[in-house]
Amino acid sequence: MKSSFRHWSLLPAVVLFVALTVYPMVNLLRMSVSTIEFTGGVAQWAFTPARNLALLAGDAVLRPAVFNTALFVTLGVTAEVLLGLLLALFVARLQRGKGLARTVMILPILVPPVAIGSMWKLMYNYDFGVFNQALVALSLSPVNWLGSTSVALAAVILVDIWHWVPFVFLILFAAVEGIPPDVIEAARIDGATPTQIARRVMIPMLRPALAIAIVFRGILAFKTFDEVYLLTSGGPGTSTELASLHLYKVFFEQNLLGYGALLSLALIAGITAVLLVSRRALVPRGLA
Amino acid sequence: MRKLVLVMHTLAWAFACLLAATPANAQQAFADVGKQPPITILINSSPWYGGFEKTVELYEKQTGNKVKLDTTPYNGVLEKARNAVRGDKSPYDLINLDTQWTIEFYEGGFLTPLKDIDPTFDLPKEVLTYGDSGYWNAAKRWRTPSGGKLMAWSPNGNVDLFLYREDMLKEAGLVPPKTWSDVLASCTKLQDPPKRYAVAIRGERGNGIRFEWMFFMLGQGASVVKDAENGDYTVTINSPQAKAALDLFIDVQKRCGPPNAGALGQGDVIQLLATGKAAQAMVVSAAWANFDDPTKSAVVGKIMAVPVPAPVGGKPPALLGNWNMAVPKNIPEAQKKAALAFSRWFLTAGAQRAYAEAGSIPVRSDTFQELGSNPRFRWMPAYLAMQTYAVQELGYAEGAQVEQVLGLRLNQALIGEMSSGKALNTAAKEIEEIFRKNGRRTGSLPPLPE
Repeated sequence: MKSSFRHWSLLPAVVLFVALTVYPMVNLLRMSVSTIEFTGGVAQWAFTPARNLALLAGDAVLRPAVFNTALFVTLGVTAEVLLGLLLALFVARLQRGKGLARTVMILPILVPPVAIGSMWKLMYNYDFGVFNQALVALSLSPVNWLGSTSVALAAVILVDIWHWVPFVFLILFAAVEGIPPDVIEAARIDGATPTQIARRVMIPMLRPALAIAIVFRGILAFKTFDEVYLLTSGGPGTSTELASLHLYKVFFEQNLLGYGALLSLALIAGITAVLLVSRRALVPRGLA
Repeated sequence: MRKLVLVMHTLAWAFACLLAATPANAQQAFADVGKQPPITILINSSPWYGGFEKTVELYEKQTGNKVKLDTTPYNGVLEKARNAVRGDKSPYDLINLDTQWTIEFYEGGFLTPLKDIDPTFDLPKEVLTYGDSGYWNAAKRWRTPSGGKLMAWSPNGNVDLFLYREDMLKEAGLVPPKTWSDVLASCTKLQDPPKRYAVAIRGERGNGIRFEWMFFMLGQGASVVKDAENGDYTVTINSPQAKAALDLFIDVQKRCGPPNAGALGQGDVIQLLATGKAAQAMVVSAAWANFDDPTKSAVVGKIMAVPVPAPVGGKPPALLGNWNMAVPKNIPEAQKKAALAFSRWFLTAGAQRAYAEAGSIPVRSDTFQELGSNPRFRWMPAYLAMQTYAVQELGYAEGAQVEQVLGLRLNQALIGEMSSGKALNTAAKEIEEIFRKNGRRTGSLPPLPE
């Protein structure tokens, strides 16, 4: 009786899981092998897996989108983790004003993405933006931040770094604060310099937190949409086209529901593969 | 004798005024639509929205009928409209659709033909039909009144105008351009970057560059497909005429525009003109109100409008970018009638005059004629002239996909990632593939030299 209740008590969770996760995934799977068109106000489904696969194979924008996404994730997350770590170590060493520093640091996370996009778009404006005004004031040439294929992606990554460093900082700062002071003290008594303490004592102890920050930020960076949509919409050319932005265009602008679903599955598979590989890389060292 | 002449003159003038006033007075009439249930309209928050809102307020005041507006940014309107018509019951009684989206809604069978609601309903003859985008011939899969049903009416018809700074052109001894050669010639005098750009034209990837370039394309007599209306989807975008149009577009942008032309969007172009950094610009008519508003503009009263120039020896080009107000199929009959009652009222001369005076673009030719001589509406003659040859483009189910292709390839040519020949050949191949996959009769021209 007790055992059966234990099993039945799981039912609400199972129902919720099926309704909110399994059903949407199965539906996505079904959509991915179909063409969905509307006639007479009613959706007509046709089983066309080959057609959707042909669309995937012939999608000329997908390749640059995947390449840009890989670059965006790698460069963005690396910079965010490095800066977040440095900030966490720096703030942790402050004798006064830690709380204020922490509050100020997290402000970028609180700004709505639309406001971030608009704000940075204004700052990057070729003619009126603060960056170019500063450059011109220093007798330097203005930079075509969002209109040059060689600069635009870097400009978008910079915004992402500004936006998400505080998130990494928060995770790592909590971890730094959690390091027992006597371990640091012992290292100091043993004659370790501050750099040695950071490299040999603190960073190894921060590895689990680093792993969490990397995995979380990696997943979120893969899904970045709002910043790039507002700043460049993927242009100029395909220089800032990211996978999620491309997916949006296929689904919502081109209204290709079947192919959009297939593309979603391909991206989910891609993210999962990257996660598995990164987990393998992290697990032996006890990071995840 | 002089006295007699004076009296005759005065009488003639008074008679002329009386004649002129008669139709004007007749146009003041508003439709009496009676008591109607409240309706909800899905509307975009575009630059002309303020005028629409004020006109709706006037409707409520005059008729006592209630209208709720769901004001939504451009990018959100399409998804809200899709969700509304695909559900059991639409929360909206009127939905406003960009002309490019209408095919999806017509073909999907989501809308009620307006004569199905009231067989006596028809658009007044003065109402502009904007390339007949409100009609749908289901058998032909084409927007045409010939064999088609009236599905929607336009609350706004955008067309690009060529705006210029009257003072700057005068100072430089220039007259408003009629051809792109005039524009290029003016650039030698007006282009002074980064202080001043001779011309600002949208070049950003996507709808921006696709829409603007098509004025050049139409001017050169080029087309995307051979004869879509009659089912011939042979892709002709890589014709020598299209290449000439693209080369001219790039030439104008490089010689006369800002260095970031490839990233210029609508807001940027408006900003450059409104701040006095651009001497001329191609801008949608809906943006006009920005330039005479002292809170938004440093160039109040200095901007004038002419039709968009044509290439030398080419055709005067005009591409429509209008909106279409339609009644969803999935609402009760009483709501459909109320939506149609609002439509009938909105299209009267009186409502259209109020609409124009509130800062929007009217959709009746007589309103343009009535207000065109008023300096406040000095853009109207250019707008009305362009309406005589304005056309719709991409009026087929694959329009959104074709726009994505063109928006990317044209932008790549502009920023120098591809030659114009390669960009058009690539676009032609991709567009042909889209049509082929949809079972259209298609083909393409021999490739251009790259």
